[in-house]
Amino acid sequence: MRVLVIDPDLARAALVAEGLVGVEPLEVRRCPRFDEAEVAAFAPDVVVIACESPDRDTLESLREASAANPRPVVMFVDRSEPALADAAVHAGVAAYVVDGLAAGRVRSVLEVAMTRFRLMQALRNDLTKAQADLAARKTIEKAKGLLMKERGLDEEAAYRLLRKLAMDTGRPLGAVAADLVAYAEILKGALR
Amino acid sequence: MSVEKPDLTLGFVALACCAPLAVAKARGFFEEEGLNVSLSREPSWANVRDRLAVGALDGAHMLGPQAIAMTLGLGAEPTAVIAPMSLNLNGSAITVSKAVAEALRGIDPTAFDTRPRTAEPLKRLIERRASAGEPPLTFAVVFPYSVHNYELRHWLAAGGVDPDGDVRIVVVPPQRMVEQLTAGEIDGFCVTAPWNGMAWQAGVGEVLVHASEIWARSPDKVLGVREDWAERHPRTLSALIRAMIRAAEWADQAENRGELAALLAQPEWIGAPEAALRLSLLGPGSDAPDAFDDPDYIIFHRDGANRPSPEHARWFLDQMARWGQLTGEAEGADRVYRPDLYERAFKA
Repeated sequence: MRVLVIDPDLARAALVAEGLVGVEPLEVRRCPRFDEAEVAAFAPDVVVIACESPDRDTLESLREASAANPRPVVMFVDRSEPALADAAVHAGVAAYVVDGLAAGRVRSVLEVAMTRFRLMQALRNDLTKAQADLAARKTIEKAKGLLMKERGLDEEAAYRLLRKLAMDTGRPLGAVAADLVAYAEILKGALR
Repeated sequence: MSVEKPDLTLGFVALACCAPLAVAKARGFFEEEGLNVSLSREPSWANVRDRLAVGALDGAHMLGPQAIAMTLGLGAEPTAVIAPMSLNLNGSAITVSKAVAEALRGIDPTAFDTRPRTAEPLKRLIERRASAGEPPLTFAVVFPYSVHNYELRHWLAAGGVDPDGDVRIVVVPPQRMVEQLTAGEIDGFCVTAPWNGMAWQAGVGEVLVHASEIWARSPDKVLGVREDWAERHPRTLSALIRAMIRAAEWADQAENRGELAALLAQPEWIGAPEAALRLSLLGPGSDAPDAFDDPDYIIFHRDGANRPSPEHARWFLDQMARWGQLTGEAEGADRVYRPDLYERAFKA
């Protein structure tokens, strides 16, 4: 497991290492502040960041940019706020939280964070695909409607015509439908 | 009738736009409304968001688009957040390094001396750098969902610069902007006061254009509270809004700006040199550049500045869609900016 700890406090990186004793192979690296090149070079499996670090915003922005390789981020909450840690986990705040006191909990928290992160990634991919499918279906319905109105076809025939267009041009049905709708809107605008 | 919850914790980030919180606390306006407010200085906007979401904060000084992003679940689990008050208008600016400023002056001296400056000379600089094989310029903003990100992108795009293809835009916390500009890690940034003034006074940056030159009454920060919190604490919220409006009104008076600069310079608020705050809040003396010479550089109260405008929320949503942050439906986004709750604070 490769763990990057972004924290000016040496003690907390030591705590993370201590909590992960027995994990093989293990490499825990600490940097006092976020450095994009260093993160990219180290390629950690998980990033642990002190909750009081202003670098959280930078780290999050990279996580959101799909181009950058997203990684699970665990947040280190100050020991004076154990209730906040529990509340954060309970509320499903995207970042996870290590109770500053317990080395024994570090390993399970990191593992849960990584598992949950993979699950969320999978869900997000599914959602993106589902949204794209739904959008394509709406467009196909619209294109069908246009053909039915303009060409006096019934629904079945309109769909067959769309499918034929897609097959003839070797393009997805949704793309052909989107073109048709777009052209129809341009023509409508031009005639107005 | 007394407030439902007299003890409140409010979060803020060290920027001049936290003035309504600082003034209400320092001048006892919260107490006069029956509120006992503790302020929590937050190191990042992500912290503000998470602590508000889990209830560790009752309310916070927030980026307007951040309240919308929280409600829509962009960048985090969805939490319905409302903005019943706007804290300020304007206050942000785009600064570039001395080297970039010199290059721009060289490319077109006339354009450089004409305000407001457009991004067209910058486009020529970018093309020149690209053909010389130099790396793209890097600009920093404070958060993906921020007026700063949209203001910078809007200004770049209006000058023919593609914010996604022609430059790199990264997120850097406000307190690290000046040091990264000095170190050459970034070539410019868009941030709220006092950091543009800091860069100028440190001799490392020059303000190209400030918010009110781009949009005369540019939206900026808001008071954010969770929607369910607002429903459970209507009288508390009204009292909070009244105290902060009073503070904003005080902060907007020209004769109070010097005292405000001294207050915000304190380490428990911004912890920046008073001179940098004076530059943003009072305008330049004889030696400062005319970029700061604008009575509207930052507005806290006048011109209806505190009423949260749904028009601003719509502009933010448009920008989210324009720059690919928002692809699906924006369900609930129209419930974020709440002028009705702002107006309610004065009734009964």
